[in-house]
Amino acid sequence: MVSYTYGKTLLKIENVSLEYDGRPILRNVSAEIKDILRPDCTQGQVVGFLGPSGIGKTQLFRIIAGLNPPTSGRVTVNGLDRPVKAGEVGVVAQDYPLFEHRTVLSNLLLAANRKEKDDKVAHDKVLQYLNDFELIDKARLYPVQLSGGQRQRCAIIQQILCSDHFLLMDEPFSGLDLLMLERTCALIQKVANMDELNTIIVVTHDVTAAASVADHLWLMGRDHDAKGTPLPGSHIVETYDLIERNLCWHPEIITHPQFVEFVREVKDRFRTL
Amino acid sequence: MNEAIELLAPNRVISKKTVRWLVGFQLLMLLSIWIFSPTVFLPKPREVFRALGDLWFEGLGGELITSFYLNIQAIAISACLSLLLAYLTVIPFFRPIVALLSKLRFLSMVGLTFFFTLMATTGHELKLFLLVFSVSVFFVTGMAEVVASIPKEKFDLARTLRMGDWRVVYEVIVLGQADKAFEVLRQNAAMGWMMLTMVEGISRSEGGIGAMLLNQNKHFHLSAVFAIQLTILLLGLGQDYAIGLLRKIFCPYADLTLERK
Repeated sequence: MVSYTYGKTLLKIENVSLEYDGRPILRNVSAEIKDILRPDCTQGQVVGFLGPSGIGKTQLFRIIAGLNPPTSGRVTVNGLDRPVKAGEVGVVAQDYPLFEHRTVLSNLLLAANRKEKDDKVAHDKVLQYLNDFELIDKARLYPVQLSGGQRQRCAIIQQILCSDHFLLMDEPFSGLDLLMLERTCALIQKVANMDELNTIIVVTHDVTAAASVADHLWLMGRDHDAKGTPLPGSHIVETYDLIERNLCWHPEIITHPQFVEFVREVKDRFRTL
Repeated sequence: MNEAIELLAPNRVISKKTVRWLVGFQLLMLLSIWIFSPTVFLPKPREVFRALGDLWFEGLGGELITSFYLNIQAIAISACLSLLLAYLTVIPFFRPIVALLSKLRFLSMVGLTFFFTLMATTGHELKLFLLVFSVSVFFVTGMAEVVASIPKEKFDLARTLRMGDWRVVYEVIVLGQADKAFEVLRQNAAMGWMMLTMVEGISRSEGGIGAMLLNQNKHFHLSAVFAIQLTILLLGLGQDYAIGLLRKIFCPYADLTLERK
């Protein structure tokens, strides 16, 4: 068993509800992410956020990103006593949007300069990231000239440069072949472990991929009445702590029988949502 | 043989060399039809070029400069006004105003002459007002449509990069849609030449190529009419190429993914 402790709360979702035209979409959603501390190791946080289609994942995603306000409740980051603002949580959308009129370098400099006022420091930081993510030779290209994987990395760097250690990723495993899936999982862990405070929330349908990179899983769903009819308004119905189950930070975790059993357990629960 | 089949199949990409051959062949065909056409209403190339020479000595050059200056002025003013109005549609207050302006494109220019004559102090001003109005109502329609069709994700991206409201407008709309703005400008600048002849017909005080065209048309000098049309066409093509070149220089990313570059 790996030794670890929990530090301060990094992100907190407090009783978030959302209604559209009086119709509840989200109902009292509450969750929090704490800093995971491991001795002699920089350990970021990765949360897998699962739920069936149409359950309101995207709505909660936008609220956490500070792009939309909830009807009630709030999301706070870094212990600040105010709702999260757009820009504090980075967002990597499914199609990896970038500014098509700017080159890769220009896209990243734009993001870096939003946070770092010293041009030289911002430029050096961007070059460092381009080197680390093997994109240095693509710096002068436009986004349309990048492959899907390169575009994904570029979008991730852009958001890391600007946000406060938080990254929301929407369906990063969607439509990937096995090799790309493994690379994306490795990339998520690499980004998470670049800084102790780095926190990644991965919104996905892929239970196995999410469980293989995450330390916690949030399962979103609806309650049902006695007749089995879903009640309006979804919330996080289950939180799985993978550290407690000794199912994270192991290489080749997906081959472990306990992991396979765990994925089956989550999938069975998924079907009841 | 294969290349020939490719020319007749949909969505085929052909080599630049084939494109040159194709254009050359079609131009030759067009020229042959023109030369050998039996219709008496179609002046032969020789007559048209002779008329062009005569017109030149009658002051075609000067009239061209007058018209070109008027058109460039109108396009510049229309572009500034229309872009500003289209960008202002991000503010809800301006949306109904721009929508109303856009609807004015159905109005006839002739019906507006009296109104603009009251406003203008010179013939040049009257023509400029008419031209700016006529081009702007179409320009603002095209550009407002470009602004309205920007996907939400682009705005979200800018917001997640901590951009304020106006910086979002600058990055996503002004810079992000610059290539499309050039394209709308290109189309409307071409329309400017079409309207110019009408406007110069309404107010002939300064002359211009439009007034010259109407005079020749009135006297049924078909060779001269064709010569003036040819001159306008060549000038228009030059203008189109220049705007396209500017688009290529300022927005090199715009055509990177096109199948037919």
